[in-house]
Amino acid sequence: MSGIPSNERRRPDRAALVIAPVLFAIAALIWWDAGRLAEMSNYSRIGPATVPHVVAIGLALLAVWTGFEAWRGDFPEREPIEVKPVVFIVAGLAGQMLLLKTAGFSIATGALFALTAFGFGRRKLWISLPIGIAFSFVVYIIFGRFLQLSLPAGPLEHLFF
Amino acid sequence: MRAKPRLTEDTLLKHFFLASLIAGAMALPALAADYTIIAPAGPGGGWDQTARSLQTVLQDEKISGSVQVVNVPGAGGTIGLAQFASQNSGNPNALIVGGYVMVGAILTNQSPVTLNDVTPIARLTGEYEAIVVPAASPIQTMDDLVTALKADPGAVSWAGGSAGGTDHITAGLIAKAAGVDPTKINYVAYSGGGEALAAILGNQVTAGISGYGEFEAQVKAGTLRLIAISSAERVDGIDAPTIKEGGLDVVVENWRMVAAAPGLSAEQVTAINADIEKAANSDAWKDILKTKGWQNTYLAGDAFKEQLGKDIAATESILKDIGLVK
Amino acid sequence: MGTFEFLLQGVTIAAQPMNLLYALIGVTLGTAVGVLPGIGPALTVALLLPVTYKLDPAGSLIMFAGIYYGGMYGGSTTSILLNTPGESASVVTALEGNKMARAGRGGPALATAAIGSFVAGLIATLCLAFIAPFVVKFALSFGPREYFALMVLAFVTVSAAFGDSTLRGLTALFIGLGLAVIGIDQQTGQARLSFGIPDLLDGIEVTTLAVAMFAIGETLYVASQGDRIPDKVEAVKGSVWMSAQDWARSWKPWLRGTFIGFPIGAMPAGGADIASFLSYSTEKQFSSHKDEFGKGAIEGVAGPEAANNASAAGTLVPLLSLGLPTTATAAIMLAGFQQYGLQPGPLLFATNPQLVWGLIASLLIANFMLLVLNLPLIGLWVKLLTIPKPWLYAGILLFATLGTIGANPSVFELGMLLAFGLLGFAMRIFGYPIAPVVVGLILGPMAEQQLRRALAISQGDVSALFLSPIAAVLFVLAILAVVVPLILRARGKGEVLSQFAANED
Repeated sequence: MSGIPSNERRRPDRAALVIAPVLFAIAALIWWDAGRLAEMSNYSRIGPATVPHVVAIGLALLAVWTGFEAWRGDFPEREPIEVKPVVFIVAGLAGQMLLLKTAGFSIATGALFALTAFGFGRRKLWISLPIGIAFSFVVYIIFGRFLQLSLPAGPLEHLFF
Repeated sequence: MRAKPRLTEDTLLKHFFLASLIAGAMALPALAADYTIIAPAGPGGGWDQTARSLQTVLQDEKISGSVQVVNVPGAGGTIGLAQFASQNSGNPNALIVGGYVMVGAILTNQSPVTLNDVTPIARLTGEYEAIVVPAASPIQTMDDLVTALKADPGAVSWAGGSAGGTDHITAGLIAKAAGVDPTKINYVAYSGGGEALAAILGNQVTAGISGYGEFEAQVKAGTLRLIAISSAERVDGIDAPTIKEGGLDVVVENWRMVAAAPGLSAEQVTAINADIEKAANSDAWKDILKTKGWQNTYLAGDAFKEQLGKDIAATESILKDIGLVK
Repeated sequence: MGTFEFLLQGVTIAAQPMNLLYALIGVTLGTAVGVLPGIGPALTVALLLPVTYKLDPAGSLIMFAGIYYGGMYGGSTTSILLNTPGESASVVTALEGNKMARAGRGGPALATAAIGSFVAGLIATLCLAFIAPFVVKFALSFGPREYFALMVLAFVTVSAAFGDSTLRGLTALFIGLGLAVIGIDQQTGQARLSFGIPDLLDGIEVTTLAVAMFAIGETLYVASQGDRIPDKVEAVKGSVWMSAQDWARSWKPWLRGTFIGFPIGAMPAGGADIASFLSYSTEKQFSSHKDEFGKGAIEGVAGPEAANNASAAGTLVPLLSLGLPTTATAAIMLAGFQQYGLQPGPLLFATNPQLVWGLIASLLIANFMLLVLNLPLIGLWVKLLTIPKPWLYAGILLFATLGTIGANPSVFELGMLLAFGLLGFAMRIFGYPIAPVVVGLILGPMAEQQLRRALAISQGDVSALFLSPIAAVLFVLAILAVVVPLILRARGKGEVLSQFAANED
């Protein structure tokens, strides 16, 4: 499977080719959603659905253009990426999100801190986790206690306050 | 250069320094919270200010040892309300601040949780809607505005807050009372009273409608003409007739209230009622009302519940007339 | 009359040693909190305002001014060094500033930002003192149609931030416009693209999007590059200070940024973000180093940073003379003023001259303190880059999420932060620029609402859009912004541009 015959160096960029249908799906979603809006009588003649329709058309056209460029292989070359560190950091963010209400700010954010460091190669969790929790607890004291930001409290925070 | 551990310590030290600096600037007592007040809006807004003022009074008057305010913003307060009702059933220490805006937001957002799912305690304060025109406008009175509205509703543009909010509802009620189709009003929504004020001052629109506080300084300076106010009777210190005096039966109060959790026993409700009554009657609360320019419209118990029911019914009917609720 | 005496009197009070100390504390606290990624000036001021309540009125006003300027400036430091803008107005700063920092020129970037902020703050504060009444008149003459014309101009010039591909720049912009549709439509109260989820009814928070796309997207991208990105960046190549050439290239952008920023900040629907966008594209037009844009052009830091600060002073024009808070920061300031017994409004300058001039003098002093504090600290700030990556990025994520949790402690908001972080990561992999997404989210709703308001007021008459002189001028400028580069290109001067387009970073 070769690309445009005149340019043997460039081949269809398959990963980039996926972007086109994604953009098209977003355009279709916006178009569909705008369709169920009630056009209420108003004096501006531009209703709530006008702008979403324009955005949807724009995205659909861009989807076609993207498909074309991806087929010609016009996207910049990509460096290979390492997936593992990304997974750890995403796990950290998801963990913080899920732990926040039950474990409180310090423990949840400490977990995020440790997992991020882990993703970047600091594998000693028994060091980074306590550091992260302690650091987050200090942040909690400054922002949650003294500056009155409403940060969720958990067992650790209740122990002290 | 390998100095990793030392640098990390440095950053940590810097933050400890910051901590002690701030700690020194404001030494706050850290006690267990007795009441937790949910402010269903972001920091700085009206509900947040009400919640934090109530917090100050409850603490300073020693009604409650320590009070915590938690912000749960979003969707006209309905997100905070939904979270409050589902998480605090039977909890006598949880309070939520809310207001008339919530009544409309519950209807337009089709919120599954309504004010029937909480225990209303008392109305604390309120603000009346003011109708203003630019000082240079040919419109002198409410009668002039109604005449113009009847002649050509499209030619009368109203600037106010978001569609479906208190300002829009009031404009709709005025049109309806004047015998004009409420769907025909040319209501131009702005993100808030401030932005609407700029449009009125710049002569971009015919009239403006918003809480009196938004316009007060301009009215006193003579750059805006106040033609009517939405109270039932004239208000001390506000030099304008009521809409009612002009023959249109429209009374709107943008009130703020405090409510408790659902599922409380009668004794628990009585206890909360007593605490709030004590706070609302304190001099500290009255001072706050004065500095913030809030009207004291304290109303508790069954009288408040009755008023609430009336407001909800009237709001639902006008939102249907405007076409925002089906 | 007496304006000058009042100002002099104010400065004399503000310059007392005790008050200078308060200014220094305010600037330090403001910078320290504002510098954290994810915590923008609005949150900084809201958080630190209570600290000032304990002082006497003069002292608290001065400390407050310090916090305000410190918070404004602190955000640009992390934008430049770490590519993590905490609010919309520093998004543009990150574009060129971070490229400079990566090339070891973080020092000059921070310096031009600090000095530019100082120059702009100085001129704009003096403008606030002397010509506020005229500026207010001009700002009020802007109605919906004029704003719509301004938005069109901003849209046309925003392509300056597109990077090296029109396709990918436009796609990023339209993704932003699509996100902007989410939420309750202001004019009709109907929910768009919300799918019955109440958390989406208020739309996407710009801060959440900016922090997610930049701070989290950047972290994920750096992590995915493994060892290709060195563990430590060489913080300083050449001098930490600005060279003679840096000065020569900076002073004009500072002035241009000031004169773009001040009037736009004064407009009730303007704001620092639009000012910084317009300044960036202006600098790209005027620069004699167009080829450096996108790779670390100092003009692209100097102009927007000056515009940013000038518009902050501009915001005070409607706030003090009309009592109109036009930004989130201004709304919080209004609450602060009320604590000092200041009731902003049209009569303020007449009824309360001491306090107003005291505030203006405080701003001047705080502005000066900012420079005093930050220039020597630049050497320290660039050391941020030498913190080992694991700890640096763990800290960035901690503070980025702290800002979001503090503004809205909901699991849903954190979920959006993660989702947009992944989007920012994916876009980086495929070479999409990030800034246009944020720009689309900011400009989209403004343009739509202003157009619909303008047409409602004219009852659907489209010609009315062009009948105002100001709107007409803005439309002509927008057309020129499209046509002039085309003509230049036709005359052969576009070689640089096209050559630049072919290159990759």
